[in-house]
Order: sequence, then structure tokens, then C-alpha cells
Amino acid sequence: MKNLVLTFLLALLVVLTCVSIRRMVGGNASFAGQKPALVAIGTDPYPPLPPPPPKPTN
Amino acid sequence: MDGSIFSYGFQYGGMLIEAALIIYVVQSSHRNRPSSVLLYLCCLLASGVARSYTLHRFGYRSTQYSYVYFATDFPLVISALFLVCLFFRRACLHQEKMWRYVRLWLTFICVMVVGISGLFFSHHYGNVLTDFYVEFSQNVYFTCLVLNTLLYLLLQQIDSADDQLGLLVCGVGIQFAGPAATLALLKLTANEIFAQSLNSLVQRICTLGMLLVWAYAIVHVRGKAIQVTRREIPVLAEVTGHLNI
Repeated sequence: MKNLVLTFLLALLVVLTCVSIRRMVGGNASFAGQKPALVAIGTDPYPPLPPPPPKPTN
Repeated sequence: MDGSIFSYGFQYGGMLIEAALIIYVVQSSHRNRPSSVLLYLCCLLASGVARSYTLHRFGYRSTQYSYVYFATDFPLVISALFLVCLFFRRACLHQEKMWRYVRLWLTFICVMVVGISGLFFSHHYGNVLTDFYVEFSQNVYFTCLVLNTLLYLLLQQIDSADDQLGLLVCGVGIQFAGPAATLALLKLTANEIFAQSLNSLVQRICTLGMLLVWAYAIVHVRGKAIQVTRREIPVLAEVTGHLNI
């Protein structure tokens, strides 16, 4: 039981580390809306970023 | 970038290496054939073919290409996570007790990544394809990065003699660490054009680098794939043993 809890806590630590790194370097991911660049796998050309939304005029 | 000779070189060069490695591994009669690598290479090749077809059919700046690119990235990161888990299994091949804990730990991690991605999706409800898939694949990508680093540390800790596994893990490290570093640069430079181009280029170079390291590991180091923990004999004991004889 103790080992189970320790394993769970270690897994939680790893996942929180992953999510923290991702938030730190990438921000919130989005694709159809405005997005920062995303990491991807493959040797194919990375698709261009969508154009930024028009700024509201006052 | 979309029409240059370098772009085609990366794209088709990568596919060529993937196809050659698949054929080599399939034809290999070695009993410790890296099946996990074969699975990942098949996913890479299939996604490469789908992306190439869409690129030529609809063009580089088309929405279809963007959708296919990120949709095919989803099975790629899932197979990468599966690959890292299988590498853990191979690292703990002769240590069943350790593998029991590692297996449980990996299961917890997979469940938590799905849970955290689902939590994000429930707060930012949108299109399943474009939001959940991308969020989930990005989380899995960084999970693979951290897990691969931990696997490398584990290999050093147990002093594994499986040189092929060490090189395969290094290849995966190149694949995941390079793009993450350039993404950090992109964030620091506030999405400058130069950093965007570098990010795109580094991702492709890193995948190509991984394939080349894997090619070396599979072709040249395959004979040493059987894992045995290095047995360290103290020099003094060895010398006294010889003296007794």
C-alpha cells in the first residue's frame, strides 16, 4: 500500500513536471483559433501559422 | 520553405530512411529484432505518406494540410509514448521486481495525462479535433520528453550493457528535446519570424537526426542487443585470483 501511494505520487510529480514545462515553453495549445507554435514529429514541412485576428478598432 | 530543394530533401530523405529501416528490420533474422522501433517507424512512414499526399494535392498554405498535419501528429505521439514504455520494458528485462513498479507508474502517468487533457478540454470546450487532440498530443509529447530523460538516467543507474537501447534512447532524446528547446526560444523571442523558421527547421532536423542515430544503432550495434548488466570485478580481487592460480 505504501509503495502504491509512493508510485502514484511519483507519477503525479512527473505529470505535473511535464505539464509545467509545456505551459512554460508553449502556453495553451490551440489550432483552429490563434495558436502559438506547436511541437510536432516528422520531416514534413511545418504548416504555416494562421494569420492573427484583426484588432478591434475603437 | 514549401518549395525549396531542402524541403523536399528533408521530406523524402526522411521517408527513404524510414522505409529502408523498416525493410532492414523486417528482413533481419536477428532474434532480438526491435519490434517497438518497427511499429514507430511504420507510423512515421504512414503519416509521412498522408502528409505528402495532402501537401501535393492541396498545397502548403491550405487548411487541409494543417488539419492532416496535426491529425497525423496525434497517432505519432501516442506511438512515441508506447515506444518509450516498451523501452522501459526492455531496460527492466532482467529485473522483474523493478518492472512491476515501473509498469504501475507508467499506467498512472498515462491515466493522468488523459485526465489533465480532458480537464483542460472541459474548461475550454471547442472542436474535438482541433482542441482536444492538439492539447492531448502536446501533453503526451512533453511526457515522452520527461520519460525518455528518466529512462536514460535509469540506464545509467542500472549500468545497462544494452548499447543498442542506449543509442535508441539517445535518438528519441534528439527527437523530443530539440523542438522543445526551439519552442522555448520562440516563446522568449515573442514569435519572431526567425524563431518560427528555426522552429520549423529544427523539428525536421531532429526527426532526421533520430532516424540516422537509429539507423546506426540498428545496423551496427544489433549484435550487442542482448541485455546483461555489466558485472564489475574489483581489480584487486582479479589480480589475487590470478596469483592463486
